[in-house]
Amino acid sequence: MMTLESKMRIRSPWIMHFDTGSCNGCDMEVWALLTPRYDIERFGAMNRANPKQADILLITGPVTKRCEDRLRNLYEQTPEPKLVIACGDCASTGAPFHNCYNVNGGVDKVIPVDVYVPGCACRPEVLIDALVLGLSKWREKAAGADKEAEG
Amino acid sequence: MDLLAYALQVLTVIVAPLVVGLAMGMDRKITARMQNRRGPPVLQPFYDVGKLLSKRPMLLSELQATFAGAALLFHAAALALFVSGSDLLVTFFVSGTGSVCLVMGAFSARSPYSFIGGQRELLAILAYEPVLFLVVLSIGMRSSFLVGDIQGGLLHDLPLVLLALVPVLVVLLEKSPFDVPTAHQEIISGPYVEYSGPYLAILEVARWFQLAFVFGMVTLFFWSGDAVISIAGKLALAFAALFATIVIDNASARLTRENMVSFMLIAGIGLVAINLLVLFILKGSI
Repeated sequence: MMTLESKMRIRSPWIMHFDTGSCNGCDMEVWALLTPRYDIERFGAMNRANPKQADILLITGPVTKRCEDRLRNLYEQTPEPKLVIACGDCASTGAPFHNCYNVNGGVDKVIPVDVYVPGCACRPEVLIDALVLGLSKWREKAAGADKEAEG
Repeated sequence: MDLLAYALQVLTVIVAPLVVGLAMGMDRKITARMQNRRGPPVLQPFYDVGKLLSKRPMLLSELQATFAGAALLFHAAALALFVSGSDLLVTFFVSGTGSVCLVMGAFSARSPYSFIGGQRELLAILAYEPVLFLVVLSIGMRSSFLVGDIQGGLLHDLPLVLLALVPVLVVLLEKSPFDVPTAHQEIISGPYVEYSGPYLAILEVARWFQLAFVFGMVTLFFWSGDAVISIAGKLALAFAALFATIVIDNASARLTRENMVSFMLIAGIGLVAINLLVLFILKGSI
């Protein structure tokens, strides 16, 4: 049995998108999620563009050194429970910027990442998949916590 | 007062904001359908508030929480006064104090974004409160200032006054063309920007109480001797007002804050004035 709390959490994931030096390819795909074609509002998701009111951070780009502190700030300003989705190859591994002096090479070098989305640019369908996967992680976590409470 | 009527009033104060929450869900669904999207479930606003309550609380200053609580208390008190049939003017001023509490909450966080939001919310209050005040005055002069004594004839005598409430609702529901305080494309969430988690939930519920009061004023325009017809008519009228704001929202782009203030004051006050003038000429008295 899931608690009412975790049920509501899964039904209302508010997102925030942050570009850490992406070429804007992935960013356009993230914005496409909000259009009538993909409409992630049907999962209850809303774009809040505000870390304090967000649950899920959609991060694009390989995290340049200049962006590093800002990304960490945004992550710390997001109240728990939260999820981080690294959108696209750059955000997942730093892909074409491997060994560059000015990038960190992936979001997970700076903040913990829950879901990685492949693709250059990542496709909106896969982003929706990632969102649903992230929510199912929450569901598992909630179920695990319930089991611990029972056991 | 007998116990049953008292219990009924308490029940109305609890149920009315929930009905507004449901209306907000319908609003999001209808808006989505108008934009050819599927949209969230109708119960989405309740999921949102439930989720916000379960988030880790974060505050920039203690005053933020104080003013959020005060806004909720004032708006709830306004609705309670309205439902218990007391003076409409007192109700209006108590509700207005609640709106000012939201602005004070925005100003109590040391953040430029929050300050811009607070200033814009003040402009919105400057735009809609005079119109709302004149609506209250014309209802009072035509019928009675005591909500409990107001009976039929308002819709027949004051149709333009009801029309003046529609732009007021557009501002209060944060919809285009007058979503100046929370402008999504520009300053994100205005006075709410530094609020998060449970405190944002408190402000959202406060907004439901405020809207319940304003929609309550819309429902005053319909009255019938038969209780069932009366309630059905009141709900239909409130829904029609909500639907009008949704259509306006989806058919227009946001205007500037100067446009909002000048339109609200000219059109709102103008509509009420024309209505009262025509009524005076036709009937010889207001």
